Amino acid sequence: MSELTRRSFLQVIGAGSAAFVLGCTFDTKTGSKPTETEPLGPGFVANAFVEIESNGTVRITASKSDMGQGVRTAFAVLIAEELDADWSKVVVVQAQADSKKYGGQGVGGSQTIMSMNQRLREFGGSARMMLVAAAAKTWGVDPSTCRTENGKVFHDATKKSLDYGKLAEVASTMPVPTGEVKLKSPSEFKLIGKRNKRVDNKDVVTGKAKYGLDISVEGMVFAAISRRPSLGASVKSFDDKATRKVEGVLDVIQMSSGVAVIGKNTWAALKGRKALVVEWEEPNKSANTKAIRAGLLEAVGDHKEMPAGSKVVNATYDFPFLAHATMEPMNAVADVRDDSATIWTPTQQADGAQNQVMRALNLPADKVVVNVTLIGGGFGRRLSNDYVAEAVQISKQIKKPVKLIWSRDDDMKNDNYRPMSHHALRGAVKDGKALAWSHQFIKAGRGARKASNFGNADIAYAIDDAGMAQGAGQSPVPTGAWRSVDHSQSTVANEVFMNELAIAAGVDPVAFRKSHLRNQRLIKVLELAVEKSNWSKPLPAGWGRGVACFQGYGSFAAHVVEVSVKDKKIKVERVICAVDCGQAINVSGVEAQMQGACIDGISTALKSEITVTNGQIDQTSYTDFEWCTMAEAPKIEVHLIQGGDRPGGMGEVGYPGVPAAVANAVHNATGQPVRAFPIRLS
Amino acid sequence: MALYKLNINGKIKSVEADSDMPLLWVLRDLMGLTGSKYGCGVGSCGACTVLKDGQEARSCQLPVSELGSAKIVTIEGLSADGNHPLQKAWVEHDVPQCGFCQVGQIMGAAALMKQHPVPTDAQIDEAMDGHICRCGTYQRIKEAIHMAAKAGAR
Repeated sequence: MSELTRRSFLQVIGAGSAAFVLGCTFDTKTGSKPTETEPLGPGFVANAFVEIESNGTVRITASKSDMGQGVRTAFAVLIAEELDADWSKVVVVQAQADSKKYGGQGVGGSQTIMSMNQRLREFGGSARMMLVAAAAKTWGVDPSTCRTENGKVFHDATKKSLDYGKLAEVASTMPVPTGEVKLKSPSEFKLIGKRNKRVDNKDVVTGKAKYGLDISVEGMVFAAISRRPSLGASVKSFDDKATRKVEGVLDVIQMSSGVAVIGKNTWAALKGRKALVVEWEEPNKSANTKAIRAGLLEAVGDHKEMPAGSKVVNATYDFPFLAHATMEPMNAVADVRDDSATIWTPTQQADGAQNQVMRALNLPADKVVVNVTLIGGGFGRRLSNDYVAEAVQISKQIKKPVKLIWSRDDDMKNDNYRPMSHHALRGAVKDGKALAWSHQFIKAGRGARKASNFGNADIAYAIDDAGMAQGAGQSPVPTGAWRSVDHSQSTVANEVFMNELAIAAGVDPVAFRKSHLRNQRLIKVLELAVEKSNWSKPLPAGWGRGVACFQGYGSFAAHVVEVSVKDKKIKVERVICAVDCGQAINVSGVEAQMQGACIDGISTALKSEITVTNGQIDQTSYTDFEWCTMAEAPKIEVHLIQGGDRPGGMGEVGYPGVPAAVANAVHNATGQPVRAFPIRLS
Repeated sequence: MALYKLNINGKIKSVEADSDMPLLWVLRDLMGLTGSKYGCGVGSCGACTVLKDGQEARSCQLPVSELGSAKIVTIEGLSADGNHPLQKAWVEHDVPQCGFCQVGQIMGAAALMKQHPVPTDAQIDEAMDGHICRCGTYQRIKEAIHMAAKAGAR
């Protein structure tokens, strides 16, 4: 943000604080300390993100949602660093939806740290300057002769010091700094770029952490919705006689998305739903995966011409629909009154949810409170607040607070899926180099976009005349963003094809990549991963090794994967990752994101897919949308380069290389190229 | 509806519930013990895991009428203040990402370590097989179990 905008922002938000406390405050000394919501004592509200109580507690407000990517911890690290806070006194509170106060609150596209890093550090630094000014005023000394450390201001010449808590009252009367906030240099960091434990750990391991499903409010009832038996179906009629006889069932109401059963508890709602008889209008009963794929093939256009005299390589790759399958199914608690509404929900779009509820109920922003809970997984699914809209509709109609719960089956069958796609690639090689490259990327699904900002950047390789064309095929399957968005397909296809070109050119896949890569940071992570993998060391019989690399979201990653293939069964034996995310905020968090992305990559390379039969999603749970288990999880090594001053994104950069490197390793082991995901050997 | 006397975390608790209501919903909706999580309702994910007479059990698959006098331990009863060696190891290894499955993972590990106080990698793999972590924290879970074993979790 510009200096002027930033200044006015600092001033505007200087007053008032209304953070919703989850009961998830933590004490960094003991890992974390779950406490009940404590009343705010007289304190120093420095800005929208920083508040210091008279007892020295530093309250840091996280305006962005934490779905496991660790932003609550990152917010605390960034602010506490520049504040010189005593880390053991830091507590993190979760902001309610209020984009006027906090700026945009959505979490997606690995953007949070990139967009908030500088501002959060400035907010911490600004608060620190006000505390220094307060101490200087108290002591009658020049602020420039004071220093701060670990939650205290010191005046060394007179050997005086004061805790931040003791300075809170005076600091409140100090003007908000309008000049530049001087930030630390990396050599001065005590928290940034180090290993910091997640601030919610203690609450999580004791079961005290509150996710959306754990919210309980006075007078709350429970709801489950009988949902479409096939895509796009709508209710024709329903018979609720049996449902209303179920113990604990309170009401049955028709919704836009189905028929809601309201119960005294979750079990009553689920049991009542089972007893419902609903007749549906089903417009898409004939839809199936095979027909959707045929539509994709029809949309493939012509490749451009390849240079004369070169060796032309053709390949196609197919990717399935994927569910997000977050561990915590969709849910929301809504309490809609005549003139207000209060929501508690795990969402990746807090401000989006607020806007949606404001529109639905025709209420102003100050009458719609959205409390963001901890989130049991997001991966892009909770960018849509469809479940919030449903809870609001139910609460409005029954005039009671309601907890809407989606069953696992609801969740699996009513997702906004990663689109299915078909990729046709053609390339030309000559004298050990790639000369040309053409990629047709055809996506399926309702809402599948032809163009996207997340996945169609230029390929990482300097190949003249490289291009990608996009198309879309007809499908009734709703689609949305899934970890790494289009890169989960486009980059994976590119990286598998690059391997095929290397083989066609007769060049080692690492050397082939390096001879075409442009970006030095990407080359360095590739070299690091390769070095750590002992790339040239022979593998046992039946094993294969594959490599892939990716730049995106401000970061760079490379993967080497080793697989074994026995009786047509593929096992990933080892993964070596190297990542350069610029300035890491929390090294433990960076490694966690890489490890998690590896499990996603292995699961989707080898196991998971969503299919459609007779207009319905076939999968119901983790029994048929299979995910990697502990026994299938290989040893994952993460090697980190902090190759830049600014932080890059970490949520998505670790994914695309994994399915690609797995496919390349399978090709290496079997001699057969991979043409479709999940990979199945016949 | 019937009245059940359940042994939860060492205390006898009376609860009025539908006979086929799974223990998970008894704990969560009727007793306010929300540590055990609902992930799938069909025993496929492990998020609802509790100890039943010292053995790992999926609380979403246990009708309240079939519990009898079984001793149930939930995460709320695993330790007084979160100081069970597994809980400490989980924090130390910074295991959780979204954290939603971790209570079930810890209860599964607690059951494993009653059988095998110092489990091997293979024993951990086998015992933890029914516990999905969608965020992919398996490596840290395994490290944390080994750490807790060293500290003498039982």
